[in-house]
Amino acid sequence: MSETILKLDNVTKVYPNGTVANRDINMEFEKGEIHSIVGENGAGKSTLMKVIFGIERPSSGTVTYKGKETNFSSSMDAIKAGIGMVHQHFMLIPSFSVVDNIILGDEPKNGIFIDKKEAARRCQELSDKYDFELDVNAKVSTLSVAKRQKVEILKTLYRNAELIILDEPTSVLTPQETDKLFDQLRFFKEQGHTILFISHKLEEVKKISDKISVIRNGVSKGTYLNEELTMQQLTNLIIGRDLDSDMDAYKTHEDFNNEKALEVRDLYMERNGKPVLDHMSFAVKKGEILGVAGVEGNGQQELVKCITGLEETAYTGDIIIEGSRVNDLKIKGRRNLGMAYIPEDRMGDGIAGELPISDNLISTYYDRDDINGKVFMNNKAIRDTAENLVKTFAVKTKTIDASVNSLSGGNIQKVVVAREYNTNSGFMIAEQPTHGIDIGSEEFVHHKLIEMRNAGAGILLVSANLTEVMALSDRIIVMFDGQIAGYFRDAKSVNESELGMYMLGAKHQTPEEIGGALND
Amino acid sequence: MLSSIFSTLFSMKFLITIVRLATPIVFAAIGTFIAAQSGIGNIAIESIMTFAALAGVLGSYLSGSPWIGVLTGMAIGVVTVMLIAFFSMKLGANAFLIMIALNTFADSVAIFVMFLMTGEKGTTASLTTPILGSWDIPIIKDIPFIGEVFSGQLTLTYICWLIVILLFIFIYKTPTGMRLRACGLNPDAARTAGINVERLQVLSLVLSGIFAALGGVYLSLNYLKIYSRGMVSGQGWMGVSANGIAAGNYWILILSAIIFAVFRAVSIIFSSNSALPTDLVNAIPYIAVFVILTAVSIINYYRVKRGKVEEQ
Repeated sequence: MSETILKLDNVTKVYPNGTVANRDINMEFEKGEIHSIVGENGAGKSTLMKVIFGIERPSSGTVTYKGKETNFSSSMDAIKAGIGMVHQHFMLIPSFSVVDNIILGDEPKNGIFIDKKEAARRCQELSDKYDFELDVNAKVSTLSVAKRQKVEILKTLYRNAELIILDEPTSVLTPQETDKLFDQLRFFKEQGHTILFISHKLEEVKKISDKISVIRNGVSKGTYLNEELTMQQLTNLIIGRDLDSDMDAYKTHEDFNNEKALEVRDLYMERNGKPVLDHMSFAVKKGEILGVAGVEGNGQQELVKCITGLEETAYTGDIIIEGSRVNDLKIKGRRNLGMAYIPEDRMGDGIAGELPISDNLISTYYDRDDINGKVFMNNKAIRDTAENLVKTFAVKTKTIDASVNSLSGGNIQKVVVAREYNTNSGFMIAEQPTHGIDIGSEEFVHHKLIEMRNAGAGILLVSANLTEVMALSDRIIVMFDGQIAGYFRDAKSVNESELGMYMLGAKHQTPEEIGGALND
Repeated sequence: MLSSIFSTLFSMKFLITIVRLATPIVFAAIGTFIAAQSGIGNIAIESIMTFAALAGVLGSYLSGSPWIGVLTGMAIGVVTVMLIAFFSMKLGANAFLIMIALNTFADSVAIFVMFLMTGEKGTTASLTTPILGSWDIPIIKDIPFIGEVFSGQLTLTYICWLIVILLFIFIYKTPTGMRLRACGLNPDAARTAGINVERLQVLSLVLSGIFAALGGVYLSLNYLKIYSRGMVSGQGWMGVSANGIAAGNYWILILSAIIFAVFRAVSIIFSSNSALPTDLVNAIPYIAVFVILTAVSIINYYRVKRGKVEEQ
């Protein structure tokens, strides 16, 4: 017999600024199930979680937990009722020990003091029970991301949470760590816990869920049993139409005379006496996308830093953008030659969060003649440009004056891509361009990259997402240990497992074969 | 002349002077520290000391009891921090601007009130003010050397060191202390753990105001027996600086406060004994603050650069 643990009836949340985040959401969660909630960035998942967890109050509608209507005034009430939440951005104090982080807010006492012994015992017991393999006395700052997540989960278990909400828990994990997490989630389920799993990685959702609920534009699109949904149906529910997965169909093939947008010759860089970039040579031609595949940490970041000019330390070799050697130029100089850059760290390097969307849309070419007068900025031109970009890139916002921080992740990335697109550069580096954004936005970004390619730009696509590299690239290089381990003249002729062999170092081509990366 | 300076430097009197001079700086330091632990930079310590020093004298004069004076000073300290909390947390004003404003007009307000009460603008010497005395500890006072340094100190000095120990226990051993630190280190984490961050920040501000006020009344009701204009003269700022040097380490905080007291003691000895210009000698503790803060920043810069500690 299944029993309902949580029930949402016509939950509506309207923010004071008029944004309707949730509209008449009805959902039911049964005890002991893994129930995923999926939807695009900004679809209203996070708001709904906040309502359930007591951080936000619903504008109308009711939340019923264990047969009683909740009226949480803060997350404290939700915690007391037995709801726990693992936030996407960890809520931990790095300088505290694991024990202190877990007991914070609900400390075992001995007189007026914290009973440290009892606290450590309880935490160790929990960690052992769920096979977390944690040293509870370690400082959190010394732990890996995966272990920190375990601490977050232990925090909820320590407070006897029966319903655990996990907000994008896999976004920080490696595939192996994700598998381990899923095993643990299944164990929690056996123990009678209910798991509310939020993700936009649909493969994972299909893998772990018993039931799946879909939200689109703040409206519930129904709850389904996992097995009654195909991947395609699920995609369709989320974005309201089928997804274009075949990017090739959009590619045109004009001849740009083999002109090169970027040439890298014999690039070499050391760190702590070890080569991190080991004599790499390749070129990006006009009108093509060169994909860089590889397991993260094999030199991709350093490569990008060398090409963009972010790397201050010495490297040898030549970097040639649009025919000019740029080794001695700083970032701005390289941009002036026609380089555009979509950085991996969207929040840190991609935007100035507090500034309005309009300013963020012109920040890399603020000095261009069309928006910069001799003395003052041409505000009208800036606004026109921004309005235009927001429209063509379908950035979901009411006004270009909103701070860019107020947007969802996918929309922030659209702002970054729109800005770089609008530089009209002949060369673009796209570094993890769709990392952590929903499938709708991902598709959009992909289309724009193809559009730039068709218009004659050379694009260097660095991505840890193999599917993405294979879908977009014309040619592919695989990086392993700072070297080009494999080169594929035709991205269509190679499959995932073949690339995997090169990524893991199991295969390595001859220098002659790799030479094609530069000379083809 | 030099020999007289040296003989003073190594005398018992010098040690006793340091203990006396350390008290207000230690009060200011723990006042800054407790606020900082909950995530609030209280730079109004100097002004709170000034208000409390004068309020203490007036309270004592009007009531006839120095302890009522101490309570009056503490009350003024609490009122001041509550004003800061009200304007910044409730009305959303910039806390630093409020505190800068307080520091800017503290001296003038004190002089104005003093003039209303006494008709004078320099000191409250015309008021007969009962003050706190010193305390001889039985048994210990008879032990040579130790007795001389540790016994017979001013009453508020003993209270100061008692608070230093109790505060350590409070911050590091009790649940409330741990929650308070959590508020300063990651308010979002504290909030999601069900902690009322704002309430704890107000609590730490109140404690901060009380400690700073005790530093102030120590000066006017215990160390001297009058309020005189400008008597705080940067001792509050030394406490703030000590907090900067300590970077969250309680005992380094206390040690830094004592070091500032040593420099003040040195400056006092030089000013009474040497032919050096008085202004220069008076500047010694402030130069020390500058030099020590600079040195600490340089050391931290290289520690971060060499990857020994994470950037804060």
